[in-house]
Amino acid sequence: MTALLTIDGATRRFGGLTAVDNVSTTVAKGELVGVIGPNGAGKTTLFNLISGFTPLSSGAVHFKGRRIDGLKPFRIARLGIARTFQNLRIFPNMSVFDNVSVGAAGMLGVSAAEAVFGGRARSEAISRRAWAALEQVGLQDLAGELAANISYGRRKYLEIARALAMEPELIILDEPAAGLNDTETRELAAFIQRLHGAGMTVLLVEHDMGLVMGICQRVVVLASGRKIADAPPEVVRKDPAVLEAYLGVEE
Amino acid sequence: MDYYLQQLAIGLSLGMVYALMAIGFTLIFGVLNVVNFAHGEVYTIGAFAGLVVITAFAPPLFVVLLIVVAVGALAGVGLERIAFKPFRRFSDEASLKSRAMREATLMSSLAVSIIVREAIEIGFGSQFQTVPLDRLLNKPISLGPVTIVSGDVIIFVVAALMLGGLQYVLKRTNVGLSIRAVSSNPLGAKYVGINTDRTIIWTFAVGSMMGAAAGILVGLYYGAIFPSMGFIPGIKAFVAMVMGGLSSIPGAVICALILGFSESIATIFVPSVWADMVAYGFLIVTLIFFPRGIFGGARDRV
Amino acid sequence: MSDRLRPLLVVAAALVLVLGVVPAVLGALDRSYLYQVANLALIFVLLAASMHLVTGVAGLLQLGHAAFYGIGAYTAALLATEAGLTFGWTLPLSGLSAAFVAVLVALPTMRLVSIYFAVATLGIGQMIYLVMLNWVPVTKGPNGILVTSGLELFGYDLSASAPAYFVVAIITLVSLWVIHRLSHSYYGNALRALREDDQCADAMGLDTVRLKIESFAVSGFFAGIAGALWAHTAGYISPADFAFPQSILILAMVVVGGLGSLPGAVIGALILILLPEVLRPVGDFRNIIVGGVLFFSILLMPKGIIGEVSALDLVRRQLGGAWRGEGTKAGPEVGWR
Repeated sequence: MTALLTIDGATRRFGGLTAVDNVSTTVAKGELVGVIGPNGAGKTTLFNLISGFTPLSSGAVHFKGRRIDGLKPFRIARLGIARTFQNLRIFPNMSVFDNVSVGAAGMLGVSAAEAVFGGRARSEAISRRAWAALEQVGLQDLAGELAANISYGRRKYLEIARALAMEPELIILDEPAAGLNDTETRELAAFIQRLHGAGMTVLLVEHDMGLVMGICQRVVVLASGRKIADAPPEVVRKDPAVLEAYLGVEE
Repeated sequence: MDYYLQQLAIGLSLGMVYALMAIGFTLIFGVLNVVNFAHGEVYTIGAFAGLVVITAFAPPLFVVLLIVVAVGALAGVGLERIAFKPFRRFSDEASLKSRAMREATLMSSLAVSIIVREAIEIGFGSQFQTVPLDRLLNKPISLGPVTIVSGDVIIFVVAALMLGGLQYVLKRTNVGLSIRAVSSNPLGAKYVGINTDRTIIWTFAVGSMMGAAAGILVGLYYGAIFPSMGFIPGIKAFVAMVMGGLSSIPGAVICALILGFSESIATIFVPSVWADMVAYGFLIVTLIFFPRGIFGGARDRV
Repeated sequence: MSDRLRPLLVVAAALVLVLGVVPAVLGALDRSYLYQVANLALIFVLLAASMHLVTGVAGLLQLGHAAFYGIGAYTAALLATEAGLTFGWTLPLSGLSAAFVAVLVALPTMRLVSIYFAVATLGIGQMIYLVMLNWVPVTKGPNGILVTSGLELFGYDLSASAPAYFVVAIITLVSLWVIHRLSHSYYGNALRALREDDQCADAMGLDTVRLKIESFAVSGFFAGIAGALWAHTAGYISPADFAFPQSILILAMVVVGGLGSLPGAVIGALILILLPEVLRPVGDFRNIIVGGVLFFSILLMPKGIIGEVSALDLVRRQLGGAWRGEGTKAGPEVGWR
């Protein structure tokens, strides 16, 4: 197994608080890895470190053998890491199709001169990708709707479709099940599994233990910024350190 | 040397005027997180109200100031009701200080400022108004080697009194307490039973009083009262607010003085028509290099 | 009527109107004042369209747009009067010089957001205005510059009323076409993504800083072009033509018409230029009208005219469907708005 993403001693301090404390792990190509932890464990900060939104205090992140910490978010994205956001950040005043097309456009590059004087090659490539991503999540019938007007659950899929349109090698999902009911969460789990089955490498941060334990091959557990476990779900479930961290949290 | 001292004296009164204006901006920004583009028009209204009173009744300066301050308060309340209230449709903090609210009121206050300026122009004409010569604040006063004019002293005294009064209002009265409460946490203030709406009105009234006073003082100091007189001081005051860290009153006052001194010193070296460059330069440099103001208060992503 | 035919019809109607009906009416009335009003309206259509790109589409609230307009006008006027260049040279050079200054302005200010960016552009606009007003040896200061020569292309003198109108009309239409191609394409969508959430756009692989600077430069370029048109057709420019109230006038056009909509910007410009002209017999209330229209449009229809009024909404749909994802099977009604 080759490591696609290597996190090496990642540390991030905010003033006196160490949000992520010396976390190391790897994600292999084709893996489906979950990151769990109680509130404030540093899960989202870890994601922001990977995607370049927050600079590392110390440590290193490598993607496909290339060091990516310190790069701007858009450069990291172009290397093949797509992400969604914890609090659902779609472009509300744009249509569903337009939202998704931005993901494709970002990866294929945009140029003012080509948009004005160029042919249709690039816009065709972008729209092909956008349609493919919409079909993957089953939103193609809503393509013309304003993103603000579709239901919350569908907006979740819209955000994922936008990331898929980037045709990434690694997709990072930040709490995709937040705000979904049980049925929707189960559907989402099945969807993520299909995505993984089709060969996508997925890193999943989730509050919902059931979702992570049910579908992930490996689970990284964070508590107060430190990694306390990194093992398959069935091992993590019995890990005393994890049980302690989650005492009173796990149902 | 004397010339330099004289310029410093001018810079001090200039800075005090900017400070009076900047306080209005800062109070309103603190409470609502919005830029009140019509603040310069309050200054103009103050000057014109003073002029009208002077030409009609010729009362002593003290009375003129009282009337101008009252008119300023009214103008502030009216401005708030017309340009800001209609856009405050929600009461939670997120939308109270949201970006959409900010940009909408930025443009609505801009629109109101255009209308006010043009209305004054239609009423009075766009040229400089005639100020009775004996009311000009330009009687020379000799202080040892330096000669200043009565306006320098009057502006300094009035501004200092108003700043002191403001400090008293903010620290010792219920209105001041609620202004400070809403400014630091609107939602919390609402929960403990403070009438946010009334507080906002008070903030506009207090801020506009100072702006209007600045208007008439400057008008009588230079003898220049005209409909678009508020635009430049409005920008200067805004610059002082930004430099001072947006919601800090002492910061704004100190920066207003720095601005006043810098401008009057700059006119020693370059023609006075370029003096305004100083303020714009400060603005750009502050925004780019000191986004938290030159004293570094707390502010999120600018 | 097929979906592909409709935009073509709208374009054809606009061409007939601007290049046929309007000049015919102007020619019949034959009053040079009316030609001036028509030129002014077209120039402001172009200014509003250029601001639409940066403020409406990319979401950067600009309060100093008139400065770029002024740079274009002064470049054209100085090149024509001092260097004796003709329109064929002054036009592109005006656009380029305004674009160059726009890049210089954009480089340091792009990381400012929302109102701070707005105020920074106001400050820079004022600085440029002060230079026009006070750098007397070059700009002639408040006296302005008389531009008597230069509206000449390939050796033909086009300075008479009717040819000058056609020059302005054709250049404005071509510029509108370019701006339309930009704002109704994947490029426009990338800019819209910046407006909606620039951090998120960053995570999509878009170089947000480069895009903002680029859009600012393009917008400055067309403002500069508008400036050259004004300098050559009005024959006289002075700093007051490019002062802060003009920036607000352009902003008002974009806001009134509806932020993010190119037809909206065009309609907004026509309303705010032509309405005061129509009301001129009542008195010169141009600025009051601008202020009033701006205020009520923010208050009563935050989305501007387009998107609220149904008749105009139709126009929006028809002009908006220019691009609909070619190369794939026919999907539902989708396109770059």
